[in-house]
Amino acid sequence: MSEFFHQYFDFTVMGDHFGEVLDGFLKNLLVFVVAAVLALIWGLILALIRQLPGKRFVPLRGLTIAYIDVFRAVPILIVILLISGSLPFLDFLPKSIRIPQWLGQPDPYWYGVMALTLVYGAYMAEVYRAGIEAVPGGQVEAARSLGMSHGQAMRHVVVPQAVTKIPAPMLNELISLLKDTTLVGVIALGESVLIGREIQSETFNSSAYILAGVMFLVITLPMARLVDYLIKRNRGKITRGSHIEVA
Amino acid sequence: MAEPMVKLQGICKRFGGLEVLKGVDLDVARGEVVCILGPSGSGKSTFLRCVNLLEPPEEGEIFIEGHDICKGPKSGTGEESWELNFVRQRVGIVFQQFNLFPHKTALQNVTLAQESVLGRSKQEARAKATELLERVGLGDKLSQYPETLSGGQQQRVAIARALAMDPQVMLFDEVTSALDPELVKEVLDTMRELAEEGMTMIVVTHEIGFAREVADRVVFMDGGVIVEEGPPAQVLDSPREERTKQFLGLVLER
Repeated sequence: MSEFFHQYFDFTVMGDHFGEVLDGFLKNLLVFVVAAVLALIWGLILALIRQLPGKRFVPLRGLTIAYIDVFRAVPILIVILLISGSLPFLDFLPKSIRIPQWLGQPDPYWYGVMALTLVYGAYMAEVYRAGIEAVPGGQVEAARSLGMSHGQAMRHVVVPQAVTKIPAPMLNELISLLKDTTLVGVIALGESVLIGREIQSETFNSSAYILAGVMFLVITLPMARLVDYLIKRNRGKITRGSHIEVA
Repeated sequence: MAEPMVKLQGICKRFGGLEVLKGVDLDVARGEVVCILGPSGSGKSTFLRCVNLLEPPEEGEIFIEGHDICKGPKSGTGEESWELNFVRQRVGIVFQQFNLFPHKTALQNVTLAQESVLGRSKQEARAKATELLERVGLGDKLSQYPETLSGGQQQRVAIARALAMDPQVMLFDEVTSALDPELVKEVLDTMRELAEEGMTMIVVTHEIGFAREVADRVVFMDGGVIVEEGPPAQVLDSPREERTKQFLGLVLER
């Protein structure tokens, strides 16, 4: 029993390597923050393209739907490995894109950010779409009747209402994104799980993994609670709203 | 007679296999108030929505101020062949479900399209909106959100919002049907004032009393066609057609 305990909860190992694991976890957070911002923007762009009206945009809409479907269906690890394994060798691209080292971050960092943005942009697009479709059709009719273009109606009327309907599913995706930043360890970004592996192979002890896991929990558990809170609050809002409409 | 404000000829509309409008003609003179009555499913709302192209008709012609708003050949498909901007700058609409923007205050509901569509300055739009909201009796509700307003108040904001675009014609699509009975009057009063000021109005309604009092002409629709039309006294009190009699009998019995 104590062997079991030591294998996972050796406080000496944890204490000795706390700084390294924390450094690794900060890299996870850094990947997360940048990929999250980019995915939120990219997802909105994809969702808006998908809503473009008329026959003229059939090809563009089709392409977007195909993109969203494919990137949601493919393992993220493949996307990461494809980018890091091929981008450096695409000679027609400038070196700063083939081997990006922007803002002092190493190229594996940026390959990871790109892959996660591409994949999570597709997930976010679906979340936005749910929000946009939850806005009653009468809202667009009212905006269009006042002479607004499709774009103006989206910008002033639909999107502002759509985003208030989706913080909970959005946060769920962000929780997944934070966890998936560990995949970037595969291409040698020194994030917390990769550090944990190195410590594990040195000490034959898994406590560093547990330590990394706890660091994730510190961030993700409150996020999960926040999701629950938002869902409850939203439910309250809906009941209140309909009550007022009846009154 | 002078050139009609709105002229619709042979309007046809299908939803899938269902023929909702089977060739409807209607002329509305400037300043005229036309009330359209009819049982649900008669096509009256669809017809109204054809006027501002929320439902572009598949066949037929629409003239607004003598201007043919159909560009080029009618393909019966996309919006491209219609002069949407011309129409929507001249025709305002108020809906049964109000469709106010819930994330905007009463004032912002009325200023939004003034600024984004007409390019009016903030101050100009604000002044216009304040004036209109005062006119519909909501001068003290400017900064309130729709969910804090009663149905009747929301509908009056919706009327102000449409008027802010300086329309030549106003369409009303069963605007009192979603209201509690005690709130109907305040909305009808606002519409009555508007009619007295000379606004051209096409009103789809079930309010026979309003039609009798305010309309210059009453149109009775059923089965996607106009069955009967004429002055309110004639259509409402001594209808010629059997279907009109039946409908009025059922409505007035209540």
